[in-house]
Amino acid sequence: MGQHDTFDAIIAGSGHNGLTTACYLARAGLRVLVVEKNDWIGGAAVSRSLHDGWTYSNCSYVCSLLRREIIRDLELPKFGLQVIPYEGGATFTPEGDYFAYYSDHDALHRELARQSPRDVDAYDRFSQAVMRQCRFIRPFLLRTAPDPTSLNPKDLGELLYLVKKANDLGARELGETQRFWTMSIADFLDEHFESDVVKAHIAGGGIIGTGLGVYSPGTAYVLLHHYMGDVDGTIGAWGFARGGMGSITKALAASFESSGGTIVAGSGVDEFLVSNGRITGVALDNGDVYHAPLVASNMDVRRTFINHTKESDLPSAFVTAVKRFKTRGSSGKINVSLDSFPNFPAAPEGARFLSGDMHCSTSLQELEQAYDDWKEGRWSQQPYFDMLIPTQIDPTMAPPGKHMMTVFVQYAPYELEVNGVRSAENWDETQRQAFATCVFDKMEQACPGIRDHIVHAEIRSPYELEKEVGLTEGNIFQGELTFDQLLFNRPVPGYAQYRTPIKGMYLVGSSAHPGGGVMGAPGANAAREILHDVGKGRAMPVYAD
Amino acid sequence: MAQDSTSFDAIIIGGGHNGLTAAAVLARKGKRVCLLERSGSLGGMMSVGGSDDPKAPPRLAHLLYNLNPTVEREIGLQLQTQPLKTISLSPDGQHVKIDGARARMMDGQPHEKAVSFGMLHDRFTRYAKLLSALSTRTPPKLSGSWSDPETFGELMALAGMGWGLKRMGKVEMREFLRVLLTNVHDLVVDELGDGPLAGALAADAMRGAFSGPKAPGTLFSLLYRFGNSGQVLMPIGGMSTAVKAFEDAARRAGCELQCHKAVAQVLVEDDRAVGVKLDDGTTLTAKAVLSSVGPLATIKLAGIANFDVEIARRAKNLRAKGTAAKLNLKLSALPAFTGLPEELHQHRLLIAPSSEYVERAFNPVKYGRVSQAPTVEILLPNASEPGASQWLSAIVSYVPYQAEDGWTPAKRDEVQHAAIQTLESYAPALSSMIQHAELLLPSDIETETGAAGGHWHHGEMGIDQILNVRPINGMAHYSCGVSGLYLCGASAHPGGDINGAPGRNSALQALKDGVL
Repeated sequence: MGQHDTFDAIIAGSGHNGLTTACYLARAGLRVLVVEKNDWIGGAAVSRSLHDGWTYSNCSYVCSLLRREIIRDLELPKFGLQVIPYEGGATFTPEGDYFAYYSDHDALHRELARQSPRDVDAYDRFSQAVMRQCRFIRPFLLRTAPDPTSLNPKDLGELLYLVKKANDLGARELGETQRFWTMSIADFLDEHFESDVVKAHIAGGGIIGTGLGVYSPGTAYVLLHHYMGDVDGTIGAWGFARGGMGSITKALAASFESSGGTIVAGSGVDEFLVSNGRITGVALDNGDVYHAPLVASNMDVRRTFINHTKESDLPSAFVTAVKRFKTRGSSGKINVSLDSFPNFPAAPEGARFLSGDMHCSTSLQELEQAYDDWKEGRWSQQPYFDMLIPTQIDPTMAPPGKHMMTVFVQYAPYELEVNGVRSAENWDETQRQAFATCVFDKMEQACPGIRDHIVHAEIRSPYELEKEVGLTEGNIFQGELTFDQLLFNRPVPGYAQYRTPIKGMYLVGSSAHPGGGVMGAPGANAAREILHDVGKGRAMPVYAD
Repeated sequence: MAQDSTSFDAIIIGGGHNGLTAAAVLARKGKRVCLLERSGSLGGMMSVGGSDDPKAPPRLAHLLYNLNPTVEREIGLQLQTQPLKTISLSPDGQHVKIDGARARMMDGQPHEKAVSFGMLHDRFTRYAKLLSALSTRTPPKLSGSWSDPETFGELMALAGMGWGLKRMGKVEMREFLRVLLTNVHDLVVDELGDGPLAGALAADAMRGAFSGPKAPGTLFSLLYRFGNSGQVLMPIGGMSTAVKAFEDAARRAGCELQCHKAVAQVLVEDDRAVGVKLDDGTTLTAKAVLSSVGPLATIKLAGIANFDVEIARRAKNLRAKGTAAKLNLKLSALPAFTGLPEELHQHRLLIAPSSEYVERAFNPVKYGRVSQAPTVEILLPNASEPGASQWLSAIVSYVPYQAEDGWTPAKRDEVQHAAIQTLESYAPALSSMIQHAELLLPSDIETETGAAGGHWHHGEMGIDQILNVRPINGMAHYSCGVSGLYLCGASAHPGGDINGAPGRNSALQALKDGVL
């Protein structure tokens, strides 16, 4: 292969969305090249061996949102993807008790009754309300958001579809939907439950990855991003990808290569090459240049246009809007190698919830205070974390008898304040260690003596996430999921249909509608638009509701 | 014609400006209306009194931000007002003078972001104007089919708004659809940088709300306050003339206005409101009852058993936690604010040196604690009369409705102390001038006015509690479950501040429903 090869399409970045687009394009008969800056592929869906014998899903760590339509279309199980559902989860209290969340209805009722008999009834009302919202939103995920300012029949059609779906809800349910989409997760939970620990357990799903607190409007919607997925058709269920999250991107890559696609890893895009307002290809960091009439960026919108496109190739209003697109990093991650299974004294022998997501935050106030710390440039002094030990279900990720633990921490600022100065550069080894200490201290609540089991720990702040994966400011969704940045506003009004001001250039990452999570929907939707533009729209399957 | 003094077409519960407006609208249509006010004076949150000094500032609200012009016209409100400039104070003396769309420094030079501010101000004004079409009608029900005349009318109105949007042009329309749901902080700081100018907009958006400027959806609150192109109006002669103007409008229309009449019960027969029973046992009958108190209080007055359990549950969940306290200080002399020329003391002064400051002022309230560095809106109502007794009228944000461990005299003092300390850092020697201080906490406001949670807007104006879900889903059309019973207070659409539209709209809805 020469360094000036020409392709039909180039995808910059091998995250799950980039690969999804690549697969669909390759299957439609295009000659497609994927370029990746790292030596490994996968973006934020990776499995990495950073300590002898252990494998970490060192960014994203659980799977549910990946659209089943994509799994089917791209034959991912055939290429090695296996998702194993896990059971429930728990929140441990400082008093040595816990609240366990089971997917078994009766078990959950018994557990809720232990916290508060009234919350048993409340839970059914709550889960029905959330499920109604999930059912409402799911059909929109694999559709392009309409441009409300356009009179083009396709946009009007999409807008009408939206209006019709909303109207089908009926006036009362429409009111509930308006409220649900705009209210805070804490207010929503306060309306239903009385037990603090039950509320805190559920509320976590509304703040993961966001720069918002549990009392910020719009966080109830973020919760949906944790309920609208499915594993093998079980809506709301979560699972582990066997072998780590990298298995998802590995399966996508295998599917892509079987359709004749090419992946070149080890050098990222230095510049998107533009001539007369049209994309012509990409120049890589190592000096290689590839040409193609179609280029799709899997990078977030800010990285794509601010860092790797000449400003003179873009309208100034667009540049301003992109600069103002909010990509606040708010999450840290600690990946831990354990020499044995830690001790959870509160949990009964053999408790199944230990294989699920575990937390130590026990009230909404505590969660809100964690957010207040982040606003001031500190990591949360009482952090919320989502910790899992997947090796109980997937033993491939650690040596026999040993375990791997993944701990997602909310909140950690991108620009850390040290001595009155806020800067990402402040995240040095000392600060990272202090951050981890804070998390492990809190973890003592669930598994005292956890430190004695730790063989190796990888500590990642938003800054590391930016440096390694390329997510601007370490925002895991490639841009905040607030309502001014959703649907036709994502990422920038007027460019919400995957196209950009540069002809032939597309955005396929989660900066685009419908946003983040290992979902693949932006990648698939973008592929549909790209194929439409090159007259191959029929190559893309149409999904029934 | 001899008329029964206990029988009316409509009874209005509560003599705030919305109650008075509803009364005036109905009476002007020839209905016999009786308005009942629990306290000794009309005006609700606008009311004056409580002090022997005729120069004393109003108990609560001291300015008009968005009095609805349609209401003014329709009830023939005779009220003279004068626009005030806003001075956003800066701790370093670099205050910003905001006069309409112009922002200048104290030396008369334009603020470094004056151009951006002017454009932003114009944009807010345009957006607010577009939204104002919604404020004078009942939110669309959209319950019937397309051929239903009512639904068709609603759809036409919405289409009209869509057309208004469209006419703004693609770029503006896109921007409108983006900012409508955004937060004040990001938008304002992106455009203006953070400082007293951004702080002033943040403070104006958040006054009375249980929310900080970083919370999504808060820009809507700012647009709401832009109802009069962002002007801040002071009634000439003070708030008492505004109360008088509403009162006169109602009286001229022929309403009977009665103070010291507390309603103990709304009488309901066969799911119809038929009158009220006062706490002295008197019964008054009417075909319709319009209530200025919030949904839950209204439901309780009418008997909870008369309502759908789901409605009652939602009313109970109404978000209404007041965060604004009122501090009136009687002073021995006119205080001098550092770096502020004397002639500007009669304008509106704001302590909101940055949007971050406003957000920080909100933080403690979430946990029931008192903000040590509050946002303050200050008026010196008698500044132009050096001889008169001097008062300082301040709205202090944020103060919790419920204190962490309950309100105690010490906690009250903490609020007062924090407010005075904050004021004094801008007006040195202020505390030595204080002759008398009067503090009204949100909980006092609730007791005095009956507004749920002592909330400025009788219910949070978040996106989840406006339009067709204001105050709660299922009650947005002023009526609910019980026929002939209406909500006419600020908890109803379009919402709070001294506006009048909730009162007017509910009265028109009652007329339209044909219950009168």
